[in-house]
Amino acid sequence: MIKKKIHIENAVRKLRFNSDEMTQQGLAELVGVSRQTIVAIEKYKYTPSLDLAFKIALAFDREIQEVFFIN
Amino acid sequence: MNIKIRNTLAEIIGALIAMTWMWLQLAEASIMTIESVSKVLAQGIGISIILIIILHIVFNILSSIISGQYEKDIDDERDKIYELYALQLSSVIFGISIVTTLVLMGWFNLSINTGLIAITFAGFIGSIISLFLKIYLYR
Repeated sequence: MIKKKIHIENAVRKLRFNSDEMTQQGLAELVGVSRQTIVAIEKYKYTPSLDLAFKIALAFDREIQEVFFIN
Repeated sequence: MNIKIRNTLAEIIGALIAMTWMWLQLAEASIMTIESVSKVLAQGIGISIILIIILHIVFNILSSIISGQYEKDIDDERDKIYELYALQLSSVIFGISIVTTLVLMGWFNLSINTGLIAITFAGFIGSIISLFLKIYLYR
């Protein structure tokens, strides 16, 4: 059993800038959440559900492990 | 300050005003009949609901005037999770308060009026504490 607490990081901010400097609002509208949720995800204050994580990965046309990973 | 924190603050202020109003109305609760105490408590709950709606509108109008843009209030999965945390906390506080009130009523032979007031105020206090938890989570 894995007892160690995992800290999930992400590359959302980096990918957003690489996607023609997409705004947080733009990404939020694309995946159907509020801008504050995108801000919280970028600051690692909130880990999204698998559903939202897949939606974000799809928004950037990437595999989920390229967007969310354990450092 | 984002729209979620603003709305939560509006709820806290509304609940606090309603609680203060009820407290003032119930200053002589010991000589009041159960009907009049219940009436005040029911009015207090109604006042808090109306106040919260009015404060939501006022806060959002003021924010739109200050920032110059309208912010949509979208509820997503994060809001639902935070709502659940807040609900769990307020339920625990309310549950403990009910049991404590009933025990104290039996122990000290308190009147039904006291119990009714204590349970209603416990509900408000539990709700206010859970709203502070929401503000902490949204920050």
